[in-house]
Amino acid sequence: MKAQNRQTGRLAEDMAVNALIKKGFQILERNFNNRFGEIDIIAKDKNTLVFVEVKAKKGEEFGMPEEMVNRYKLQKIRNMATIYTKGKSMLCRIDVVAIVLSATNDILRLNHYENVV
Amino acid sequence: MLIKIPSIANIGLESVPVDVEVDVASLGFPGFTIVGLASKAVEEARERVKTAIVNSKLDFPPRKITVNLAPADLPKDGAAYDLPMALGVLLASGQLKLPEGFDLTKSFFYGELSLDGSLRPTKGILLLGLFAQKCAKNSTIFVPQISAPEASVVAGVKVIPIETLSQLVEYLLGQRQIEALKPPTRQESFEERIAEFDLAEIAGQEQAKRALIIAAAGGHNLLMWGPPGTGKTMLSRALPGILPPLSYNEALEVTRIYSVAGLLSPGQALVRSRPFRAPHHGISAAGMIGGGSNPLPGEVSLAHLGVLFLDEMPEFQRSLIESLRQPMEDGVVEIVRVAGHVKYPASFTLVAAINPCPCGYLGHPKRECKCSDRQIAKYRTRISGPILDRVDLFVNVSVVETDKLSITTSSPEERTSSKDAKKQVLEARQVQKRRFSKEQRTIYTNSQMRNSDVKKYCRLTPEGENLLKLAADRFDFSARSYFRLIKVSRTIADLSVSGQILPVHMAEALQYKQII
Repeated sequence: MKAQNRQTGRLAEDMAVNALIKKGFQILERNFNNRFGEIDIIAKDKNTLVFVEVKAKKGEEFGMPEEMVNRYKLQKIRNMATIYTKGKSMLCRIDVVAIVLSATNDILRLNHYENVV
Repeated sequence: MLIKIPSIANIGLESVPVDVEVDVASLGFPGFTIVGLASKAVEEARERVKTAIVNSKLDFPPRKITVNLAPADLPKDGAAYDLPMALGVLLASGQLKLPEGFDLTKSFFYGELSLDGSLRPTKGILLLGLFAQKCAKNSTIFVPQISAPEASVVAGVKVIPIETLSQLVEYLLGQRQIEALKPPTRQESFEERIAEFDLAEIAGQEQAKRALIIAAAGGHNLLMWGPPGTGKTMLSRALPGILPPLSYNEALEVTRIYSVAGLLSPGQALVRSRPFRAPHHGISAAGMIGGGSNPLPGEVSLAHLGVLFLDEMPEFQRSLIESLRQPMEDGVVEIVRVAGHVKYPASFTLVAAINPCPCGYLGHPKRECKCSDRQIAKYRTRISGPILDRVDLFVNVSVVETDKLSITTSSPEERTSSKDAKKQVLEARQVQKRRFSKEQRTIYTNSQMRNSDVKKYCRLTPEGENLLKLAADRFDFSARSYFRLIKVSRTIADLSVSGQILPVHMAEALQYKQII
């Protein structure tokens, strides 16, 4: 089950990357991680650095993917972003891409929320 | 879309308007935030509102929802904002449209939601009703059905009782009729309190029984003093049986306090029997006077217009007994906390029972007291002068002779029964009601008179006044006890339906003066 979830997540991240590229984002890094956590995608939108969290779910019976991104998760992303930028101040923001997949891994819904904090 | 729904916050017995502003944004990351100094109970409304909406077969919008409770600097507590929040979410997300001509500014929504979408009994509904009445003519309040009768006593306010959230939605959509609650009739019988004991069950102690009647008739403070087992507690427990029933206005006053404290039973419109509170001596200061960060009424306020009975008074914390001074004098108690300052009415009759010494047998005709002088002195200091000065009636409840206890020879028929006693009390209260009917300030009993009222209403015969002067010189009464004595003699005169205070009335009043 766990392995399957990881696979779904990997797939969803690919989908998110495609969607971001289509929107004109420049992908800088994927799965930037260290012992404090992980940022799924780091991209550039014009001159803004964007940290993207991708959340995917198969079906919505157990809640929306959006519900799974809470303030603890966001705080983790914020900390990781500080590490990535090495504390330098620059124009940046956090986005969330929420994806709902069908049983056969087709996209039922993909929402991109900008600047969520 | 932004929706504003009026509601209230209760600070003590005062109500302040609170706007529940709900915004359901079309953009932004979905979530549900509540701002406006919300307490934990209000914060948790998020989960209740969300689940209640879903379980009412309505849609909870997957949008960015922000709720603001304005004014922002006033702390909000309690679960009463659940209903306005839920309604706000439904309106702001466009699922529900208010009918033409529905005036949101004249409607108040109030109530705690259960997860299944039904409404739970909520504190302070009566205050909401009173606020709505003051706020606008012909206002409507939407409240949980179980607590709704509380508000029905308020004239000029339409009270719509609702059971579930979906009922409210159907009502607003015009798919369901809900009838407004009818006010209870003023004449509706006020139930009699059933006392544990009848006065006739108590052997002897005729003087104490008389003192109980005076206390009940005029609301005077009473202190009973005597060895263990002589009937002090029994006498006090018989007191509820001779207290007069509450009048309509009194009931309203008492109900306001009980509404804030959340002590009304479901479906109860008014407190119908006169309060009789008998807290255990382990009680805390906040429990007695009232308190908490959002101050709730304490025992003194719950005993408003009724009796506060302190059994074994010296066992209470000393500071706690001293804190009774202000309410005993002014009939109100002011509680000051960081969050604010609250005033509760606390016009109660104090009835206290005290042993003469720690072992209890000081002055007993047959048994020896085992206490040292120091112990006795220490025991006495637990009740201070200022408190004793505020007691009008002192009664020595002495040992009962065995003859009077005998089951075969003594007949209860000769003893004063609660029924007779109550009749006397009711008559005396009638006299008082007529006396104070023209007063601006509401006065119910002789004990509530101020000194200026005493001068106005208590005509003493010259002989009576002379007697009082003599006693005052001889026993060195304080100015306060001087006026208190006149009030007691007024009640005694009322009990014998005499317009003037005669020397006999004054003499009887003097008889109950301080003995310890």
